[in-house]
Amino acid sequence: MIELYAITDDPAPPEAPVRAVTCDGLAVLCAPAEEREVTPDDLWRFEEVVERLMEGRDLLPVRFGTLVSDERAAARAVAERRDELVAGLERVRGAVELAVRADRRDRPEPPERSPSGREYMRAKARRLEGARLIHQSLAARARESVVQPGPEALRAAYLVGRDEVEDFIALVRRLQREHREMDLVCTGPWPPYSFSPGSGA
Amino acid sequence: MNRAVAQREVALVDLVDRLLGGGVVIAGDITLSVADVDLVYVSLRALVSSVATAEEKNILPAMGDAL
Repeated sequence: MIELYAITDDPAPPEAPVRAVTCDGLAVLCAPAEEREVTPDDLWRFEEVVERLMEGRDLLPVRFGTLVSDERAAARAVAERRDELVAGLERVRGAVELAVRADRRDRPEPPERSPSGREYMRAKARRLEGARLIHQSLAARARESVVQPGPEALRAAYLVGRDEVEDFIALVRRLQREHREMDLVCTGPWPPYSFSPGSGA
Repeated sequence: MNRAVAQREVALVDLVDRLLGGGVVIAGDITLSVADVDLVYVSLRALVSSVATAEEKNILPAMGDAL
């Protein structure tokens, strides 16, 4: 069994144990799969491999847990979707993903515990308005953005040029100063998971 | 909880979102079954909700520190 990490059109060979299985101008970056229980540490290990690969090349990360029987199967999987993957690589060329979550510091209590329904609705509206303004500013600075489901007022991913990451982070810091009622958490840079074919974005 | 561990836990929510919900979905010869993936998700959910709780209590680093 081999585990798939990413798809690229960069010809540079990866560091062992990762291998490149080439197929008509594309390469699947993969390595022998180990038998194991899947834990959060395994997710981090996978992420570290993909991040190292991302340092020197544009790539589309493959969803975690994709195992195929052998390299021929890996090449076949890519060949079947070649056009979509080539377009996907163009979309993320020179870019990385940044994750932002935002919510009110004083998340409103549900209506049954709040003094009045009207007050709860007002608090909720303020919370969503803050999130909307933050997202609007960040999206304007990103190549693309996608809002994702989550318990926060805002959970979103932004596709940002590698040379624009510092500016984007500076903007996040500025928005945090301007919206003191909100808590912003920004993580990354991530491989472009949320902007890959099949990710729903 | 030291700072590095705290930051990793903050980022775990984003990691799970991305690794299990994003990335290229290769159809075909996948042998890790969907059921297994669901199990991974379930076992991580406990951790994720503990992070959410910590954030509510405002004990984890705020914006920027997780970068």
